[in-house]
Amino acid sequence: MTSTTISVNGRTVTADVEPRLSLADFLREHEGLTGTHTACEHGVCGACTIMLDDRPARSCITLAVAAHGAEVRTVEGYDGDETMATIRESFKKAHAVQCGYCTPGMLATAYDIVTRLPDADRDRIRLELAGNLCRCTGYIGIVDAIEMTLAEIRGGS
Amino acid sequence: MSDRGVGASIARKEDDRFLMGTGEFTPDVQLPGMWHAAFNRAQIAHGRLVSVKAPSGAEGQVFTSADMADIKPIRSTASFPGFKGADFPVLARDKVRYAGEQVAIAVAPTRAEAEDIADSIEVEYEELPAVVDMNDGREPSAALVHDHWADNVCCETQFENGDLEPARAAAVHTIHRRFRMARQTPFPMEGRGTLAHYDSRLDELVVWMSHQLPHPMQRGIAHFLGLEINNVRVICPDVGGGFGLKTHLDGETMAVCWTSLKLGRPIKWIQDRLEHLTCDADCRNHQYTMTAYTDEIGKILGMEVECVVDAGAYSPWPWPIGVEAATGVGNLQGPYTVDALKGRSVTVCTNKPPSQPFRGVARPGACFTDELTMDAIARTVGREPWDVRLDNLVPPAAMPYDTVTRKHLDSGDYPEAFRRCVAAIDPESVRERQKTPEPDGRLIGVGFACFYEQTAYGTGPFGYSAWGIELVPGMEMATVKLTPDGGLWASVGIQCHGQGLETTLAQVAASELGIDPERIAIRHGDTATAYAGTGTYASRSIVVAGGAVAQGCRELKPRLARIGAHLLQCDEADVAVENAEVRGPGGSVTFDEIAEAFYHHPENLPDDTDRGGLTVATGYNDKVHGGVFGFGAHGAVVAVDPDTGQVEILDYAIVDDCGTRVNPLVVKGQVIGGYAQGIGNALYEESDYDENGQPLSVTLADYHVPAAPMVPDIKYDYMESPSPYTTMGIKGVGESGAIGPVGAIGNAVNDALKGLGVEIAETPITPRRVFDAIERGRAR
Repeated sequence: MTSTTISVNGRTVTADVEPRLSLADFLREHEGLTGTHTACEHGVCGACTIMLDDRPARSCITLAVAAHGAEVRTVEGYDGDETMATIRESFKKAHAVQCGYCTPGMLATAYDIVTRLPDADRDRIRLELAGNLCRCTGYIGIVDAIEMTLAEIRGGS
Repeated sequence: MSDRGVGASIARKEDDRFLMGTGEFTPDVQLPGMWHAAFNRAQIAHGRLVSVKAPSGAEGQVFTSADMADIKPIRSTASFPGFKGADFPVLARDKVRYAGEQVAIAVAPTRAEAEDIADSIEVEYEELPAVVDMNDGREPSAALVHDHWADNVCCETQFENGDLEPARAAAVHTIHRRFRMARQTPFPMEGRGTLAHYDSRLDELVVWMSHQLPHPMQRGIAHFLGLEINNVRVICPDVGGGFGLKTHLDGETMAVCWTSLKLGRPIKWIQDRLEHLTCDADCRNHQYTMTAYTDEIGKILGMEVECVVDAGAYSPWPWPIGVEAATGVGNLQGPYTVDALKGRSVTVCTNKPPSQPFRGVARPGACFTDELTMDAIARTVGREPWDVRLDNLVPPAAMPYDTVTRKHLDSGDYPEAFRRCVAAIDPESVRERQKTPEPDGRLIGVGFACFYEQTAYGTGPFGYSAWGIELVPGMEMATVKLTPDGGLWASVGIQCHGQGLETTLAQVAASELGIDPERIAIRHGDTATAYAGTGTYASRSIVVAGGAVAQGCRELKPRLARIGAHLLQCDEADVAVENAEVRGPGGSVTFDEIAEAFYHHPENLPDDTDRGGLTVATGYNDKVHGGVFGFGAHGAVVAVDPDTGQVEILDYAIVDDCGTRVNPLVVKGQVIGGYAQGIGNALYEESDYDENGQPLSVTLADYHVPAAPMVPDIKYDYMESPSPYTTMGIKGVGESGAIGPVGAIGNAVNDALKGLGVEIAETPITPRRVFDAIERGRAR
């Protein structure tokens, strides 16, 4: 067991964990944050994407002990965040959710696109989404939702 | 209220919990004292089990088929000619028949520990030659997948309708082709998973499953474990996609249930992606040999076809071997007026995972076959494929139309859908473009596909009931009740895993009663809340559960009218029930007030209040039993790189018609989602095997699921031809989008290659296959 201290959604958590424990399993099993989903568990599909020090990361191939000292933000950690509220509203309007399993990871990547690439066009949005698989929507609704969010942010500022 | 009822593009009620990360999927369910399960799986495709030895220290934590002698093996039934049944053991018994077959279950307090134990189980095999290819499996020299069978052919069907002899005699052209569709996995984002727990208070085995069919699973688990239905409850909570994968009773679930009862503690098994890509490589994998007879201008006079299906090692329950083949042959004429068809199907057992339906079932294969044949006909007769299609499509004046395969096409203008698709693609402009070589050297092609989608079929004289299978859908039930505060609660036996049915069924009820969808709760996926149902598959749920919910609302109305009229002190004949109130000549009472009287102030009720109260349990039964038919047309323009074989989709158009659209946003979402899976089918996804039956596509580096850049925007258009047979004219739409892409993209690629005189006839159309075809063309 190794002691690790991680800031999870602004709350400092210290735990003794197996060195092999993934950050995804840590969040789900130890912290009860089941909004982070695992789907491929080998770092390809993006369902488990969370924010690690404000950058999207795969929590299934990040070890919990490697996140020692880091700030982790999961889908449960956006209370009061206006950007995420806009993204979520756009996802509803654009029918960017079907089964909902990839959604938390999609939201993390969408948040990254919206905050980092305010001028992204549809091609760029698609490229940025390439690391997040969705089997239900065919992505078009998701691209629409991110485009809609960017337009709304541009219009509002 | 109609602005939020049927026809309204309202946002989905279920979205909020998914967007907040508060949905509850099977892996999210935690129970006190719960242990985790992992499976030791066969490392070879075919062999005798010599010994299975648990590691020391894991006593009481490893179980094999020898321990589970009291479980009945899973066995499916069918009345297909020559159907051979074979036990599908919960854990391998005597032999393993595909790489990845579960051999032993290991349980431990954590998943990691369970996996450690499963990996340390020592299994000794005596390896046997593997049957890898379905054609090889038909050879007399092939090894036997099931030792007690005389050969590996497990089912053969024949179909003949119309007289083929005159067609043959009159034919000016005979077009002969062989098509193949690779094996795939359905790949829902959430894999399979089961959590079983014995509730001693209720004397009930409670099984959480990531599944599409709660009631059939309750029946199957009870039957094969030897329990009463009363002692099994199945809950399918939020389910991260299904696509047909989650419609059978898997051995893992049975082993988890047994182990949970044995140890008296909750046991959870969550499939990982390696297991999914290995054990659920279970769909498509057909071969069609087509001979089409046509006249001078390409009008099809008759078809002759043989369909070979690679069934894998076992016949799953409740969908047996043979359904794929029957569906493939049974739709081969597509949406065309073919008068004579002779079909034969052969289903062959191989050492691969048992084959299962996947979105579209065999219809993508049938579409690939009839649509590529159609373009081959057009090239043969020297006409444009869109002209030849228009000469063959079922005309609207012929509706309803009975196809040569006895599908009763209920409504719609098929040629108009196709004309709209052609207009959106503008193939003449592609012909212009093709006259000049592309600056980058790529070859441009245009292709189309027309199809129908048989949705919501029931007892069907040429389908489920004729096949003699365990699960014949027909009556679909709903319980509908007005709640004490005037809202509506409805429970249904279907399961929603992305289709938006919590919203669309509420919209159906909203249209009937005028209650806002926000005040309507739809409960599904739980055998304890819905008293009957067969689940969600075959594009049926909005038709059948929608019909049942609507029927429930309609049966509630006279009960509401009687109470409302009494409260209004007027005659029952003078009231109308709408907009969530009962309106009489002098005023109205709201449903809230009626509910208040019924539940809390019965002193205000009329003496003749319906004894059924404000709860109705009722059902929907088809007016026709062979389903209702959505239809559509897809068109694609592609660029093929002759140096790499890479195919890029430059333009794509879809025109779709699913009758009355309950929620246009959801309908479009279903069509686009199917389109993306169709792109995977057409260009990327293949579960490949080596000559020993070892799976080669076991990570997402080998198995290519379309990502966002691989799924371009589309031109989307719709038509609405209500079904004359269903409630509100609704048809299903769940599989439609997945049927057309293989045909449209395949034809576009072949159009690009036509100057080389070669054709692609196998999916996925990978760079290797395209490059090989180009090389063949250049060598000519």
